[in-house]
Amino acid sequence: MSAVGHSAGGPVGRDPATGEPQTLAAPAGLVSDVVAITGRAIRGILREPELFIFALIIPLFFFVVQIGALADVAEGQLGIGDYAAFQLPISILFAAASTSGGNALVLDISNGYWDKLSLTPAHRSALVIGNLFGELFAVLGYSLVLLIFGWAIGIRFAGNELVGAAGLLALTLMFGVGFAAVSISVALATGSVRATQSTFIIFFPLLFLTPSALPRELMTGWFETAVSVNPMTYVVEAARSFLFGYDAGVVAKGALAAALFSAVTFGLTALAFRRRVRMG
Amino acid sequence: MSAIQASDLIHRFGEVEAVRGVSLEVAETEIYGFLGPNGAGKSTIVRILTTLLQPTSGSGSVLGHDVTREATTVRRLIGVALQEAGLDPKQTGRELLTLQGKLYGLKGRALSTQVGEVTELVGLTDAIDRRIQTFSGGMKRRLDLASALLHRPRVLFLDEPTTGLDPLSRALIWDRLRELRQRFGATIFLTTQYLEEADELADRVAIIDHGRIVRQGTPAELKAEVGADVIDVTVEEREAGAARSAIQQLQSSGELPAGELRGTQAGYTLFVPDGPQNIAVLIRGLDRAGVRFGAVSVSRPTLDDVFLAATGGRMAAADQDGEGGQERTPEPAGTARGSS
Repeated sequence: MSAVGHSAGGPVGRDPATGEPQTLAAPAGLVSDVVAITGRAIRGILREPELFIFALIIPLFFFVVQIGALADVAEGQLGIGDYAAFQLPISILFAAASTSGGNALVLDISNGYWDKLSLTPAHRSALVIGNLFGELFAVLGYSLVLLIFGWAIGIRFAGNELVGAAGLLALTLMFGVGFAAVSISVALATGSVRATQSTFIIFFPLLFLTPSALPRELMTGWFETAVSVNPMTYVVEAARSFLFGYDAGVVAKGALAAALFSAVTFGLTALAFRRRVRMG
Repeated sequence: MSAIQASDLIHRFGEVEAVRGVSLEVAETEIYGFLGPNGAGKSTIVRILTTLLQPTSGSGSVLGHDVTREATTVRRLIGVALQEAGLDPKQTGRELLTLQGKLYGLKGRALSTQVGEVTELVGLTDAIDRRIQTFSGGMKRRLDLASALLHRPRVLFLDEPTTGLDPLSRALIWDRLRELRQRFGATIFLTTQYLEEADELADRVAIIDHGRIVRQGTPAELKAEVGADVIDVTVEEREAGAARSAIQQLQSSGELPAGELRGTQAGYTLFVPDGPQNIAVLIRGLDRAGVRFGAVSVSRPTLDDVFLAATGGRMAAADQDGEGGQERTPEPAGTARGSS
């Protein structure tokens, strides 16, 4: 304890030159704040491996069931080359949407830790951005596991494997972080654990009103219309394009759709964040 | 320059006016006790002065910096332990303190030195590398206090730092707070619903009730304001009316000096000068009137009596989860034992 001392002679806790009261606190900067909060978010994710398993089991289950049910028909009669490869991107996007998203944040809000962090001079936006980076890390983890699984059962990318994998990952991260932003918005806006968890529901229309089971060319009627206006359709098609023959146009559309989706959800997050900060 | 200043703070949550025009001033290195029952508005005022909540109107400042316009500067100057110690259970104590320090701009060796020091100060050195989810309530409070001290703040806001703690932990926190003030010259703004805590620690006390400050001064001044000794008589519910009229009779006949008589949950409290002599008069009088009574005691006024004189209610009556409220039976609604 002897090391706790103030500048000798001067008044306790004051700048010797100006006489202004001083503490050890100094501006850390946005980057440093974000790094610190991200580190904590990642630590939290790694300490709950059961969430990781849960997020992977359902996509894997769907993957296996879909292939079991439809692979013969799809490959034999519809001419889809490899139905497992056709389904893999769906499975990865599914896992990306299974991140806990705003759950960690809403827990902080309800147990008072958010207040504690808000009392520090850190940039308040860092508290949200750090959480988004944490989710990005989780999405990356899920996607890698599923990619490796796909590789193990013989699924290969069209063209350069690394480029394909990187492209698919980038697309998934873009979508995943956008999706995480939805539940982060709800967490900020409501502070309610239940409401935040229920945002998972929007994932169903988003991911199943797409060519998830069959290619778009085979669809008709209202379903085809709904699928065409769903931005996720283009993300799915772009993701498949890495496996079934790279098409720059399709990839660009998919990237644009993912970017637009994320832009909208980030906008929502910003609004919810302002509301939370105002409410105190 | 005053350490903390507030003028005409008002805060409404929808229809509810939680803070109704609070002004106060706390000098540097002062320990200022903010005393009031649950729901009096203490926490709301702390949230405003610590930049978490914007007041509906009025202003506050810390060391001359406005809490709304210069929130970031204020945050560097203050250390805060809120009533609900919000701590992330998945981190270890050390991780939590380290993260906290980084957000205050501390780094490297200075950071780890500070973490070590505050940990030692609150007596958590042995537990600091455990996950917070394994901590007891008292340990969490101490960790929260440590995190509030990390950047060596000039002004400390502690919202009910000892509520729910056992007497030993409470005494430890009291010691640490005195030490902090002595060694670092920190100003401490402390809310409490424990009278003995305010009495023990605070240089000055403000009593807050229903969003307003009703009395303010040093504990000695406030007690002197009561200006009398305090005689407490315990009577059973059904004897209350008889006791009241017997006491009033004694007062009107001049046997007892005319002092304030107030009904409490356990009986009556009489504020009179020269308590030791008058207690005998009172006992004889009650006996003569055939009133059955329990314990009778005389004491110098306490802050509880100040609170009673100022608000007409005992702290203990409003204190829902403190130890004071539980030993008394709540007064049934409809019985008329108000103040005279």
